[in-house]
Amino acid sequence: MAHFYESILIDTVDGLHCKSYSNEHPEGYIIVKPKYIPKNILEGEGLKYRFLFEKCLVRFNLFAKKEKLLIYINQFKKKLPDYIYNCKDTKNWFFVVPKEKIKTIHDSRKGLQELIQIPKKDLDEYLTLVVELVEFLTRSGVSMNNLGITHSTLMSNYTPGKSDIDIIIYGKDNGWKILDYLKAAKHKKLHWKTDEEWIEYYKEHKTSESLHFSEGEYVKHMKRKRYEGMFGGTVFTLFTVEEPNETWFKWGEEKYDPIGTATITGTVIDHYNSHVRPACYYITNGKIVDKHGEDIKIDNSLEIKKVVTFSIPFVQQALKGEEITACGLLELATPKSGDKYYRLVIGYFDAYLTDRREMEFIKSNI
Amino acid sequence: MHFYESSIITTTDGLYCQVYSNEHPHGKILVKPKYIPTNKISSNDLPFRFISGRKMNRLNLWIDPDKLKEYIFAFSKAYPNYVYKSTVHSNGPLFFAIPKDCIERTYSPKEGLSDLMNMPKKDLDEHLETVSELIKFLFESGLELNDFGITYSTLMGHYSPNISDINIVVYGKDKFWKLMKYLQNAKHKDLRWKTYEEWEKFYKKRNRHMIHKKGIYIENMYRKKSEGFFRETLFIIFAVENPDETWFKWGEEKYNHIGVAKFEGIVTDNKNSIVRPGCYKITNSKFMSGNEKCKNLPIKKIVFYSRDYCMLAYPNEKIEASGVIEEVIPNEGERYYRLVIGYLDSYLSERRDEEYIKVLED
Repeated sequence: MAHFYESILIDTVDGLHCKSYSNEHPEGYIIVKPKYIPKNILEGEGLKYRFLFEKCLVRFNLFAKKEKLLIYINQFKKKLPDYIYNCKDTKNWFFVVPKEKIKTIHDSRKGLQELIQIPKKDLDEYLTLVVELVEFLTRSGVSMNNLGITHSTLMSNYTPGKSDIDIIIYGKDNGWKILDYLKAAKHKKLHWKTDEEWIEYYKEHKTSESLHFSEGEYVKHMKRKRYEGMFGGTVFTLFTVEEPNETWFKWGEEKYDPIGTATITGTVIDHYNSHVRPACYYITNGKIVDKHGEDIKIDNSLEIKKVVTFSIPFVQQALKGEEITACGLLELATPKSGDKYYRLVIGYFDAYLTDRREMEFIKSNI
Repeated sequence: MHFYESSIITTTDGLYCQVYSNEHPHGKILVKPKYIPTNKISSNDLPFRFISGRKMNRLNLWIDPDKLKEYIFAFSKAYPNYVYKSTVHSNGPLFFAIPKDCIERTYSPKEGLSDLMNMPKKDLDEHLETVSELIKFLFESGLELNDFGITYSTLMGHYSPNISDINIVVYGKDKFWKLMKYLQNAKHKDLRWKTYEEWEKFYKKRNRHMIHKKGIYIENMYRKKSEGFFRETLFIIFAVENPDETWFKWGEEKYNHIGVAKFEGIVTDNKNSIVRPGCYKITNSKFMSGNEKCKNLPIKKIVFYSRDYCMLAYPNEKIEASGVIEEVIPNEGERYYRLVIGYLDSYLSERRDEEYIKVLED
């Protein structure tokens, strides 16, 4: 229904700091993930705290211990009901910022334009790296106007040597152009994790997603992605966002009925939208291979056409022609016009509160 | 009207300002703009900073006075609402003031510190842990959490560990003096005071070396206990006045500009020398040089806006001061004369290097 760029920071009138979590949004709301919530509104037992902008803030983390997260989100729903959107179209809920609750939108594109105008002598070591990285990325042919900065880079609460550099790429073609460029590009400060470093990362950061991957499989998936690397010893992350005319779905044009948790297989026929949030893989020959004990009944005359993910670890996970296995929430999609079909969704907010958090994944048979 | 000095204000059009007095004209807050967006005015003579997604100029009053004058002139055109023409001063000195309806947000050092001290230790980074430990150490003076605040980059969250200073605010003049007394002899493994060499480096900056005799200056600075290192991070402690203890009330006096002159005098009271604006009461003032109209005027107060002069002199010490001489007409009581150092317009002329307070040798 309404476009608003993903990965954009929004401050609310109640002191919440949020980031937009989709490029398409229901009318009057922005789908977000809360980043920081004032402690005086809601204590964050089991979550980390940060001191920013005069306040002690709870750093919201979907990977906190589940029992703590459940308590926190239940309290959030009670104390901040305006920030919860019960969606009739998906029969699910989302964190949102109602438009009337927006205090400030931090413009990532404008932020970068401002940053690059600062004389180099006035930049600290971290911002110098940011500018150098951005200049390097423009060698791909994507102009500076189609890039932005976000998170601590934009808000100036970064810690040199520790904070990541978060870059936004505006437009899906631009996203692919940069990601393709980075496959072969060289720069003395650019470093991609080696197999050994990915193995180490896998061992150290064993997350719920990686449970479904052997060490070797994990490395194979991660090493071909180019959305996260090191520049001058600092981690950088690239987020591609969709322009208003190119979102792969429009909010409200389809309705979804949740069927249950399922594992499916299928062949990717289009991965063009796999680098945005939510990302989408169009598949063919979709088959349910595990119903996880649930009483899932489907109409066999309808196809499983899409695998959708809100979870960043599963963006750019598979390419056209590859067989994938994925576990998530199976939904029956009913478009306003056109045929019904099934889709599998990974990373809805409710998944983090249930067993689905550990169950969900997308894996290619590479 | 009271509003705590050293608080931070952001304006609806993106300026970051530090509150520059504890007393203010009705409906406005006197400030010094700290960071100014570059969309309306910009100067390559000022340093730039990237703050909250904006290219900002950092207002530095110590750049070339002509360049500063040019910038302040442009500022006055771009932000006419923020230039305050005082109704209590003749020959109006330059003040910057934010009308209340232009305030986007105020950041309270006291509330900020209270939130910071409530953070679990595990979630503090190195800089914040140093702040927290320093405050805990300062509690040993008998002051309580409610007596302290934290300001500038620590308060705003855009500090750089190992680079940024820690700026501590103490609420109340008696509390501040109590703390200073405690620090005279206090010991802590992480505490050290500036060495002679460090004060010497400080002395060489700005115009200090042109005014002060090195030995005396360093000795006077060395006895201050408002500035030191904790875990090798520089900390500075400021005092702010509570509403019931400001040494003047805005609007209760009028000030007539008389001229610029240099005077000597003996300090009788330095209780208010710890705040901004600060004040030394003096006696036996003696005209040294300057505008002839000032020649026979008895000066009762030396007033200053620069923190350099906080706690510089103590009762019975002889000081020399150069600045603007004003006739003070209180709403009630007798007229008197004062000398003022550091009105913002002084930075736009040769007065910047000519205004000072210094302690004289016996």
